[in-house]
Amino acid sequence: MDATHPTQSNIMTNSINRRAFNRSSILSASALAIGTAVPDGWVRSLAARLTDEKQKDRILIVIQLSGGNDGLNTIVPYADERYLKARPKLAIPKSDVITLDGSVGLHPSMRGIAKLIEDQKFATIHGVGYANPNRSHFESMDIWHSCQRKESRGSDGWLGRLFSHAMTGDRVDSMGLHLGGEPMPLALVGRGIQTPSIATVDQFRWKGKTDSMREADNGTSSEPGAAKQGNMESGGASEREADGAGLLDFVSASTTAAMQASDRLEKALATSDSAGDFPDSQLGEKLKVISRLILAGLNTKVYYVTLDGFDTHANQAVAHAGLLKQWSEALSAFHRRLDQAGQGDRALVMTFSEFGRRVSENASQGTDHGAAAPAFLSGPHFGKPFYGEQPSLSDLDDGDLKFKIDFRSLYATVIEEWLGQPADPVLGENYSKIDGIKLG
Amino acid sequence: MKSIDKKWTLDRIDPQLAWEAWEPSEKEPWDRARVSLLYRRASFGANADEVAKGLSKSPTQILDELSGRETSARSVGFEDESREMAKAVLGTSEMKQLVAWWLLRMLHSPTPLVEKLTLFWHGHFATGAEKVQDVELMYQQNQLLRSNALGDFRALVQGIAKDAAMLIYLDSVSNRKAHANENFARELMELFCLGEGNYSEADVQQLAKSFTGWEIRRKQFRFNSYQHDDSLKTLLGVSGIESGERAVDTVVDHRSMAPFIVRKLFRFFVSEELYPADSFLEPLAKKFTETNYAIEPVVRMILESRLMLSGWSVGRKIRSPVELAIGWMRTMQCTSNVNFLADRLRTIGQSVLFPPNVKGWEGGRAWINSSTLIGRANLIYELVRNENTRFGGEPLDPFMASKSIRDPQQLMAWFSDLFIAEQLSAPELAKVSAAVSKESSDKWGLATLSHLAGLPRIHLS
Repeated sequence: MDATHPTQSNIMTNSINRRAFNRSSILSASALAIGTAVPDGWVRSLAARLTDEKQKDRILIVIQLSGGNDGLNTIVPYADERYLKARPKLAIPKSDVITLDGSVGLHPSMRGIAKLIEDQKFATIHGVGYANPNRSHFESMDIWHSCQRKESRGSDGWLGRLFSHAMTGDRVDSMGLHLGGEPMPLALVGRGIQTPSIATVDQFRWKGKTDSMREADNGTSSEPGAAKQGNMESGGASEREADGAGLLDFVSASTTAAMQASDRLEKALATSDSAGDFPDSQLGEKLKVISRLILAGLNTKVYYVTLDGFDTHANQAVAHAGLLKQWSEALSAFHRRLDQAGQGDRALVMTFSEFGRRVSENASQGTDHGAAAPAFLSGPHFGKPFYGEQPSLSDLDDGDLKFKIDFRSLYATVIEEWLGQPADPVLGENYSKIDGIKLG
Repeated sequence: MKSIDKKWTLDRIDPQLAWEAWEPSEKEPWDRARVSLLYRRASFGANADEVAKGLSKSPTQILDELSGRETSARSVGFEDESREMAKAVLGTSEMKQLVAWWLLRMLHSPTPLVEKLTLFWHGHFATGAEKVQDVELMYQQNQLLRSNALGDFRALVQGIAKDAAMLIYLDSVSNRKAHANENFARELMELFCLGEGNYSEADVQQLAKSFTGWEIRRKQFRFNSYQHDDSLKTLLGVSGIESGERAVDTVVDHRSMAPFIVRKLFRFFVSEELYPADSFLEPLAKKFTETNYAIEPVVRMILESRLMLSGWSVGRKIRSPVELAIGWMRTMQCTSNVNFLADRLRTIGQSVLFPPNVKGWEGGRAWINSSTLIGRANLIYELVRNENTRFGGEPLDPFMASKSIRDPQQLMAWFSDLFIAEQLSAPELAKVSAAVSKESSDKWGLATLSHLAGLPRIHLS
């Protein structure tokens, strides 16, 4: 970071003043860091854009519904005969649907979300997907995470690229944080960036804490940690990668990041109160922790959580109802908590799944892998509950719904409208934002 | 003899040279480091005695022992005991008892290569106990994987296609003619045999039809001809397929199967870091095909290769949680509470019998994140302090005395020699010494082992 650049200092002073959280020691560490990072002109322009007070404090929470959420039984086209015909056992009857307008309604488990819609804080984006849909969980998830198909895929994800571009060297906390026991999502992987991934906060304290781990230095190099980071950023088959030392560099950098994050979280949670009425569920617990971290003043920009179990090939009805209930209750509790604390306008939640499910049910009272499905945004004020157009139930692609909005348009909307960053460098090419969504 | 430079990238290494059997030479002697490496990769690590004795055996002899090529009195006794214990486990119907049973096998088996490959196939044909919810079925599958672990891949796949736990996990317990369930059919090609991109959506649908009428009744496979779609299917370009068994054979015989499987074996045994060209793995694929998909020859080819034993592979793999914990315990001749062990393995990302999803564990760098690094260090920290923990049947102090270890420096050197892929550097040793010196002096053994677990290098194999 250029020390003479006025913008960043303003951001730092403002954010320090604005919050009671004591960061004096960290502030001096940041001051030392200034001058080490070398932003190119493009990053500098980003930094300038970050001056907007509102955007600077904004947070994105991504909820991944893993396994392929059945969009048709989430946002239900109950009035469409073709839906009822394709789903003799699984269709949600009109009498059960939480009706929103004359044609679609919500699954009956989604009471909490119905209230968010009433308050104009929840938007459904119809028919999100991509061309030539892949029906493998892993491949499709990787496409959503990386924005690239297998042939042209690099090793980073869309949020990781966002972090690389917007990383300005003055951060106290990591740009992103993954909360959950599953492996780190590819979306968060960025070159030269160590995003913490934390199973649960209780486990995130090292019992034998001493300097041996804190100052994890692999002992093969006399250079400080910053130099190793630089080496990682260069990417590709560097010499250290080639002789196997790259792996040790990776573990060492991860160890340092782990210790820093562990210390920070311990302090943040010690100062936060644990108020908030969250449901006793896996997702409820995760969103509760995130609300505490946000309210404790952690300046992490992106939180990432998953809710697994949506791969409902058999006996879908009960399982799906339970999952939607868990999502709906946890999500509404989260927004309610931030609203109570007067910080509701800081958080945007994006919920997505790797694909929807086939229009016709199978013989196991389930549904197989499909293609397009709705995605969801919640938190800020939305002018209307639906964006885009519900895919036709008669114009199908091999039994699946056709997408109308590329998922990268959803990302572009979030990146530009919400985070105030240019989306093209993150997405690799230009995708238009979704019509009508204004978050600025 | 031609050697492989440690610093070479794979594209510089001649595949023929890489996969030839390694032989000792003046420049590359059969030494403690190589014995230890072979035990790390083919087993879960070696203790002091095994390393010492290994010096007078050849790699082939060691692999013969680890794979149980010749039945020994010790292995017969072990299997009898294990069978008795399994009976007791099935009587409890508790999944955690089965997990404990398997971890005990990994800790004590005289043929650990079989257990290691069983773990490999468990990750490959990943099946989650949380959905199967039946100890007996998980045990059946575990035995299926074990009995074919080094055997015939075709028999293994045919067995898995009718395995009750697998079919429950992938929703194929009742695959009906009217509307085939695609889940198992898709994963059979995508994850178990061919890899994504080597089949079409039409192949998925045809294969699913081939499995209609395959059911599980009273915990057993049953063929229900009323629900079987007996039309002739065309799968992967082969027409006239009438049965599910033929369909499985067609998938197994597809040209992309051997390269797909040997690549996964390469990742498991050698390195998950680099993505070699197909041509580099070609000698392995050729061996696999020539032996009619026998698993043991290709696994031994990997483990005895120059690429492995020349030293090129040292430090190129991240220890999985099981490799770290079981390896640490085998090296230290350590026994402890296996339920504690199972619980801690879960928190660091490898709960055996509970893989994260049907793709199994991703491995490599995915094992490492902030939580798991702290969890790994905590595991060792808690393990050495667990009241049930013994080393060679004794508390730590007498155990160290029996090895003539009298101070932290000697312990570090002894441990590093046995467990660390590349020796610890002077700054690392100094760091641990400094940390240990700050703790109470009568606990230097516990403190040294705990602080060693905080070093990044401990995670490399």
